[in-house]
Amino acid sequence: MRLVARIWKALGSMNLTIVLCLLLAAVVVWGYLAINWRTALFIPLNDMGLLAWMKTYGRYNLNHTGWFFVLLLLLVLLALNTVSCTLERVWQLVVGRSSFSFFRLAVKLGPHVMHVAVLVMLLGYLTSYLYTEVVVSAVLLPGRSYTLPGKSGVITFTEFRHQLYQGERLAVFQGEVIQPQAALLLSDKNGQHEAMLGFNRPVRLGGYSIHLDNFAPKKPGGMRLNQRIDLHIRKDPGLVLYMTGIGLFCLGLGLYMLDGRIYRKPRQ
Amino acid sequence: MQNIMKFLVCTVLLPVLLLCGCQQQNKSDAGQDAGAEARPAFLQIGAFSVHRISDTRTEVRDGAGRTLVLIPREASLPADCDPRQVVRTPVRRVAAYGYFDVATLRMLGVLDEVLVGVTVPEKEWAGCSLDIAQGMREGRIAYLGEASSIDFERLKQMEPDLVLTWDPSSLPLLDDLKIPAVITSTPEATCLSARMRYVQFLAPFFGREKEADAYFARVDAALKDIRARTAGAGEQPKVMWGDIYEKRVLIEPGNAWVGELVGLAQSSYQFSDVFGTSCIEISVERFLYSGETADIFFTYRTRDSGATSKAAIARMNPLIKDIAPLNRGKVYAPLPCYIQSMDRLDEILTEISAILHPDLYPGHVLQYFEDLPDTDPPQDKDSRL
Repeated sequence: MRLVARIWKALGSMNLTIVLCLLLAAVVVWGYLAINWRTALFIPLNDMGLLAWMKTYGRYNLNHTGWFFVLLLLLVLLALNTVSCTLERVWQLVVGRSSFSFFRLAVKLGPHVMHVAVLVMLLGYLTSYLYTEVVVSAVLLPGRSYTLPGKSGVITFTEFRHQLYQGERLAVFQGEVIQPQAALLLSDKNGQHEAMLGFNRPVRLGGYSIHLDNFAPKKPGGMRLNQRIDLHIRKDPGLVLYMTGIGLFCLGLGLYMLDGRIYRKPRQ
Repeated sequence: MQNIMKFLVCTVLLPVLLLCGCQQQNKSDAGQDAGAEARPAFLQIGAFSVHRISDTRTEVRDGAGRTLVLIPREASLPADCDPRQVVRTPVRRVAAYGYFDVATLRMLGVLDEVLVGVTVPEKEWAGCSLDIAQGMREGRIAYLGEASSIDFERLKQMEPDLVLTWDPSSLPLLDDLKIPAVITSTPEATCLSARMRYVQFLAPFFGREKEADAYFARVDAALKDIRARTAGAGEQPKVMWGDIYEKRVLIEPGNAWVGELVGLAQSSYQFSDVFGTSCIEISVERFLYSGETADIFFTYRTRDSGATSKAAIARMNPLIKDIAPLNRGKVYAPLPCYIQSMDRLDEILTEISAILHPDLYPGHVLQYFEDLPDTDPPQDKDSRL
């Protein structure tokens, strides 16, 4: 029991936090170099899921992917460190709650709410990488449809609208499509509606988010390519957790700022 | 603090050492397997990959990131994947869009048996790929129309088990015809390693892994020879690869196999800082800037598209008439067989190295490129008539 208590205390240590942060910074530099050197190894992580990636690309290219495993380990340690540290501080506040008003107690919890928020966001990322359902490169031609997995909806590509670059400054892009937009007809059990899909402008249907991944042709009158859009479709259960984490972080930040504004005396 | 360091050593370093141990174990396994003619369970080839799950199931990832499941012809359909993803092996009938895919079938030694459709007419094969021209004459191989306007009725008649295509827009129509397809192009240019190993990606479709390994070993040996020969090369020629088409400048980026090869052969690639897709577009100014100091210029144009001499290129593109290779250096144009001969990549790599360092390859006769003369030879009266 004493050993558990010692481990718990060591896990919550501030020194551990500092060492972990320094190690994380070093690993991230290593990762930056590895990703630049062998980008193709990491692209599949976006669609095939963390476990499948670790068993294939990760395991068979450890010279270039080792940093990622170390990063995961350090993040787990940082999460444990944060949990231990936060629980200890919150417990102290709860034990001494009689000396504060309820409002003061809530305000004092601000930093801890922010810590929990970061954990929730990390959990969101983990959930995303473990459980996201992805359809890679669903290709649609004008007038054709794609049925979502589980028949939860049908996407029909009705029309391609685009804006061409007409400027003088970037001659390379002259006449190129700079703002592609695909008009879609989305059908599900609730009915039909139209939506415009563009880069950084996904649409949602039947619990899936639909993203524009690529399109052709890039330049009217260029290479003879058929008109098409490539879709990246995903159902990401981690999204709720990121959003919750962001909400919690904002709440914690608000409480922390209130604490500073109301209770902390300005330094002389 | 000491306790923390001990704790970190236990939790971080030990797993890392174990992981490295696993990798060493894998390497030694691979060494033993090579003797037993077994292969690594997972192979990454640029954007492509091959994952041998079991003797009866291999999963491959194509250039568009789609996963295809390869199962033996007699096996029952797996329940855990879309039937459209399943390819039965060995594949017996293939339609191929690109020259490189056709050449890969030849590398694997299956071209005569499996190729049933191409997107290039017979006359274009006649000079260099007599086997295909012959197959087309005999009706074994069909011309399916241009890649951007395939005759899908004709394709259906040829009953291919698999289509090798660079064009993703054909996927919906092929899905309708229930013909599995592999996207063989990638969003980024193919690096040298992927170019050499691509044959190992297609090999499991035909059960020709041994042939693929032998081919890779041959090209790898050629590359090692290039490294050894050029290691002591004194002068590093500056090389550019591309051309201008109606004010559009297209080049091979630094991450393309030609860019990597030039660097590996102790030469300097003028576009090594450009990253992206093959035939990437850059500004005219950038092309001209690199052209000021270049020694060797490889043009995309062939003799048929007007690259008959340096003067002819300068006439076609007055914008580039002042670049150094057209005036003081060398210009090389691909011969018609170059694009159809990727099954002889070892010879092509060696030829490029010989062009960069002619003194290291005395007596080398060019087979895939031609050294363009300064001007076109004067035409005699008879030929003009």
